[in-house]
Amino acid sequence: MASPEQSGVTQMAKDMATEFSSTPESIWTQAWKRFRSNWLAMGGLVVLTAFILIAIFAKQIAPFNPAKIDLLNADAPPGAGHILGTDLIGRDVLSRLIFGSQVSLLVGFLVAAGAVLLGTIIGAIAGYFGGWIDTVLMRFIDVMLSFPSLFLNILVLSIFGSNFLYLILILVFTGWMGVARLVRGSFLQLREMQYVEAAKAIGVSHWEIMFNHLLRNATAPIIVTATLGVGGAILNESGLSFLGLGVQPPATSWGQMLFNAHEYMLSNPVLAVYPGACIFLTCLAVNFIGDGIRDAFDPRQKTRIPKGRIAAWRARYSKSRA
Amino acid sequence: MAEFLIRRVLQAVLVLFLVSIVTFGLMHLAPGGPIQMNIAPGQSPAAIQQQIHNLGLDKPVPVQYYEWLGRLAHGDFGTTFKAPIPVSALLWPALKNTLILMTTSWLITLAIAIPWGIYNSTRQYGLSDNTAALIGYAGFAMPAFWFGIIMQVTFSLKLDLLPLSDMYSRGQEGNIISLIQHMILPVTVLVVIGLAGYLRYARASMLDVLGQDYVRTARAKGVSERKVLFKHALRNALIPIITILGLDLPGIVAGATLTETVFNWPGMGRLFVDMAFAREYSVLMAITIMITVVVIAGNLLADFLYALVDPRVQVGARGGDV
Repeated sequence: MASPEQSGVTQMAKDMATEFSSTPESIWTQAWKRFRSNWLAMGGLVVLTAFILIAIFAKQIAPFNPAKIDLLNADAPPGAGHILGTDLIGRDVLSRLIFGSQVSLLVGFLVAAGAVLLGTIIGAIAGYFGGWIDTVLMRFIDVMLSFPSLFLNILVLSIFGSNFLYLILILVFTGWMGVARLVRGSFLQLREMQYVEAAKAIGVSHWEIMFNHLLRNATAPIIVTATLGVGGAILNESGLSFLGLGVQPPATSWGQMLFNAHEYMLSNPVLAVYPGACIFLTCLAVNFIGDGIRDAFDPRQKTRIPKGRIAAWRARYSKSRA
Repeated sequence: MAEFLIRRVLQAVLVLFLVSIVTFGLMHLAPGGPIQMNIAPGQSPAAIQQQIHNLGLDKPVPVQYYEWLGRLAHGDFGTTFKAPIPVSALLWPALKNTLILMTTSWLITLAIAIPWGIYNSTRQYGLSDNTAALIGYAGFAMPAFWFGIIMQVTFSLKLDLLPLSDMYSRGQEGNIISLIQHMILPVTVLVVIGLAGYLRYARASMLDVLGQDYVRTARAKGVSERKVLFKHALRNALIPIITILGLDLPGIVAGATLTETVFNWPGMGRLFVDMAFAREYSVLMAITIMITVVVIAGNLLADFLYALVDPRVQVGARGGDV
């Protein structure tokens, strides 16, 4: 049998061999490798995937119709028929949770996508062209940021009526500023690069430089912001639904379930626990994934070495052993 | 300095105009209108028309805006449509209640977050630091109002230790003991959620400073660690925190809409939601204007404090980059 050191050396030789024989890894492969070793992020990915699958196959999984009112079975305790019981008007809680995931995830991803799209376009224009365009757009962002966005959401949804489309639109409209600032910031730096000058010299259009050359180099931070934006959008949706401004019955969402649960808190407080826990889990998963992606793309990222291993190294290699 | 001040005030007035025009236009161009909420069943069309005329809602929107502006210039926020109550009679009590709740939780948040964050920056990844990270993850992934409901269920319904909601117990209005009892739960919620952000800022800001050359120099010349922390590092670490404080100021006035709703706290956030549902435009306009003023004042304050604590900063030269 080889000693541990020897096997380590063999392993290293193997690693080097593969490294030299194959083409260099792309940053995506490297990032994915780093992401995979981050167990929090991987856990988040597993949880999020599970929720996405539940949302997609809600019809197949859910034991009952989530909107079906069954007054004879109202307020049933958790048991054989209804695994998590029923609410005050006899709707199956588990089925409502399962269908509620659709709204939360859909809002989360649509809003994040919309905010990234809008924010990227505005940020790219501001950062690339600079000058008065930049000043005007930045002023606008300042105004948008300065106003408490929840108030604007409430105002619009209560006046124009709440439906799914308005909900998405207003959340996008109040959620793009972070991405815009980010993209503008990196474009301000990137546009001074020589390859931009070169591209201009050979007659590449502004549009192409912006979205073909510059945007590529700003992808990683945008992905991180987008991921974290998903969690934010899910939280916002739940808040608005809790105020009665989100999706309307018979459609169901976790925030709406909390709204109902709070109304009937005195008779059955447990109902408030499940939907909130679902929101919490989903957002936690999304945030862990976002942090994981950020760390995976961070070139300065340091792997934290356990104290025990440092002590072992010191014991083995340090000449000034005291 | 004077030039900077004048420019900023002019900008502020412009922003105020824009925000008021947008809000006003949004409300008055929306389908329906305040009158929809106040029609008694069986009212004749002529009577409805008369009512619209009496409220001045049949005039063109720009004229209505101009008249509203004229009244505002005289310090008159107008009256509500339904039962004509002066807006100020609704506004000031709500503002007072919100300020009681928000300043308390804000001060407690800061009193905990800044020392704790600084402590954590000196002992990274220790038990205390990991606890703080846990609070951070939970605080960012949890709907604050759900946390509030869980607190209500636990401490009020199950353990029966604290009152469920409202500001005072019935018949004890103005009693300070009753007020404090009612404040414990909402303040706890707001503090935990607030800690999530401020702990991160404080820690990151301190770490940033501790990594700088002058801190190493100070340590190298033998300054005690205590002095390095509190005399050299702390001052610079507080600068970004002060900026964030200025930007968070509007939140104190706007209140925490969802937390106020959960705990039935009669503050600004709840007033806004109630009035949005009732389409009481004059109240909504008054709140919007008030908050915009505070937003601008907060930004200005942040700039000044920034210059005050950091002599390197020239007022007016602060770029908005990144």
